[in-house]
Amino acid sequence: MSNRSRPLFGYRARFTLTCYALLAVQMTLLVVFVYVPVFWAFSKSFFKFEVGSESRFVGFANYAELLFRDPTTLPSLLHMLFLTAFAVCVRLSVPLVVAKLIHSLSREKSRYLFRLLFLVPVVVPGVAVQLIWYGMIYNDRGMLNELLRMAGLEEFVRGWLSDPSTALVAVAFVGFPWVGGFEVLIYYAGLSSIPESVTEAALLEGCTGIQKFFRIDIPMVMSQLKLILILTIIAGVQSFEGLFILTKGGPGFRTMVPGLWMYFNAFSFQRMGYACAIGVCLFFIILGLTVLNMRYFRSTTELEGRG
Amino acid sequence: MIVAGSAWLLWPRAGGEFVTGMPAHRDNGAEARFVIKFVPGQQYMPGTTPYGLGEPLTGMAEVVRDFEARFPDTRVELITVPAVREYLVTQLSSGNAPDILMVNVEDVWVDMQKGWYVPLDPYLEAPNPFVREQGDPSLPGYDQWWDMFKYQAVSRGKAAPDNLNYCISFDMVETGIFYNKDIFREVGIEPPATWDDWLASMAKLKAAGYIPLLMNRDSFNDWTVDLVFDQLYYDILPGIDLVQDPVREAYLEGYLDWDELCFLFERGYFTEKDPRYTELWTHLYDLRQYCNQNLMGTDLAREFVTQKAAMLWMSTQFTYRLTGDRHLAFDWGVFYVPRFTAATSRFASNTDMCVIGGAGTQYEVSNSACSDTGDPATSERLKRVIALLQFLMVPENYARVVNEYPSMLPNVLGVPVLPVVQPFADILERRYTTTKWVYTFDLKFNDIQARMLELYLNDGIGHEEFMRLQVDNVRTATRNLVSRKPIDMSRLEARWKELAPLRAGMEGLPHE
Repeated sequence: MSNRSRPLFGYRARFTLTCYALLAVQMTLLVVFVYVPVFWAFSKSFFKFEVGSESRFVGFANYAELLFRDPTTLPSLLHMLFLTAFAVCVRLSVPLVVAKLIHSLSREKSRYLFRLLFLVPVVVPGVAVQLIWYGMIYNDRGMLNELLRMAGLEEFVRGWLSDPSTALVAVAFVGFPWVGGFEVLIYYAGLSSIPESVTEAALLEGCTGIQKFFRIDIPMVMSQLKLILILTIIAGVQSFEGLFILTKGGPGFRTMVPGLWMYFNAFSFQRMGYACAIGVCLFFIILGLTVLNMRYFRSTTELEGRG
Repeated sequence: MIVAGSAWLLWPRAGGEFVTGMPAHRDNGAEARFVIKFVPGQQYMPGTTPYGLGEPLTGMAEVVRDFEARFPDTRVELITVPAVREYLVTQLSSGNAPDILMVNVEDVWVDMQKGWYVPLDPYLEAPNPFVREQGDPSLPGYDQWWDMFKYQAVSRGKAAPDNLNYCISFDMVETGIFYNKDIFREVGIEPPATWDDWLASMAKLKAAGYIPLLMNRDSFNDWTVDLVFDQLYYDILPGIDLVQDPVREAYLEGYLDWDELCFLFERGYFTEKDPRYTELWTHLYDLRQYCNQNLMGTDLAREFVTQKAAMLWMSTQFTYRLTGDRHLAFDWGVFYVPRFTAATSRFASNTDMCVIGGAGTQYEVSNSACSDTGDPATSERLKRVIALLQFLMVPENYARVVNEYPSMLPNVLGVPVLPVVQPFADILERRYTTTKWVYTFDLKFNDIQARMLELYLNDGIGHEEFMRLQVDNVRTATRNLVSRKPIDMSRLEARWKELAPLRAGMEGLPHE
């Protein structure tokens, strides 16, 4: 065979180069649309910067204001922690119980039907869910107040989202009964992947019912719990759109969270530099919580390895 | 391919703004040399039906069509844009804003140094060409466009702190108390003459099972604060009004501007030391006891038309909601907020409540209008944009737009006021408020005041705590303002000393 027809690179090398080329496109877009704005925000957090005006270097002044002088900082952090902790509690428990119940059904058709029914609400956009709660449930003439009126409990009728004593809890309760189809599916997949041998061994040892749920099922879906935990924490720290729709952080600052305060500073008050400083702090909060989670919350694989 | 497809989908197209309602323009199509994007506002947007009542609006579209017929090289797109500051800031900073915007001019003042808006003075001081072509020198607008405006002082009073005019005060608006005459008769009350009468009437309405008054948080934060402030401070204005504005004084009569407020704050006014300022908020709290439970409720009109509430504090536009509703089962009327008396407060000035309305629809020309040359002095495009506004203000065109349905008060001489909104025109004859707190300082000040007031009115914090937070808020706002726009303190200080003898005879001033 002649060497002349031999390609410069072998198949493997060409395949690898193609992968690199395709990755380069993705990386370029990622850099342009994600990394550059992130670094830009980081640099702008050291400036007093208003859209349409000259920016002025102020060093750590924005951070100092945020951490030591802004009276909104501490309450908004506490609200964020409360809402995130609440979300973690319900997302780690309710969907898991529902998934376990579905998984325990004997007929495959029933299991399929319930999985489907719990998944369907996922297609409703989050904004629509917030608007439904705002307009149909918490409204002055909404479902909750009308039910109270019908029950003769007029004294409990209130503006649930505008009453300082109820607003934060009302916000936390949005989405009740918190059976997110996504979480149910994740947990269901985890429960389905528990080896038959483990289940049988547990039964032989007399481990059934609640005992089996806590001693076998939960440790075996620890990877799924860890995933949901990380996602819930990130969402809890970052998200503000629900509060923007429901309360705009009010009454007063009773439902304000850092993400929403960042938005108001950036676009309503035009304090872009200060908003960037809030954004950078949120980034470090998420990073810290994720590292803690990765370090101290062991997944199923790690537990198996340890075992 | 995905990236290319996405880019194609996202690429801005000509006329790609969301357009509500019927197309205004004739088919000037591809030949159009000037494509003007105009945000007429929800009041006049063709194709919409205000409050879902009556036929869709056509007035603005008809006038625009006539304009396009006069200028075949021009196409006007009437568009709806989000009524939020976020949208404005991003569009204006990128030079992509519509040519004619509808924004409260006080929001423009915040950005006036950024070159986003075109000063309109050279055009307002020149003849309106569409009036001049009629050849009658006696017509308003023949010499100066300014002369066409009915409410001269209000319109000219909208000049920015740099004394330039960035807006056309297209029409006027005022607020009033809409009341259910049937409920008033049933409870045995009349429209009140004084604030105390009003509270007493509301107590009777509450006892009879009605919501006495419907209001929202923003009405408290904006209208009520200014009205009560005026009632408490009007008497001492001669001693504290330090600057008479040569341009705006005719309308503003002793108005306290931002620099005066900053100066007075340094003298202890608007702090815990100022008994008037401390008292102001208690009157709001008293009023709140007779209002709807949820101040953030969005459907106040429903409670009023279903007769669950006896009064609704609303602006002129609501007239159409009532006149246009064939199913309305009660008589209604309008009265204005009654005055304080000595029984209400020892600081009551005993003068009629001032007005807080004024210019309603306010049109500004953005920097996009001179995008052809980048220079207002040489831009042909800008001239065409201005021509559209001048054409709109010709009385026969104007009446087709503003009087298409009873909503706003005309601000062009020779255009009649529709009878049903006449009560608001009468209210607008009163003098203007002493100051507009929400338009004086930055947007953060407004936001925090509104939030703290909401908490206070809903018993989330007490009066003392509210005062502490509010004084902090004023302090921060005045400092921010002074750092952006240095004040000529020596001038204010000199005037302050001149007025000292006057203040010596006044009661309840902060210790100087």
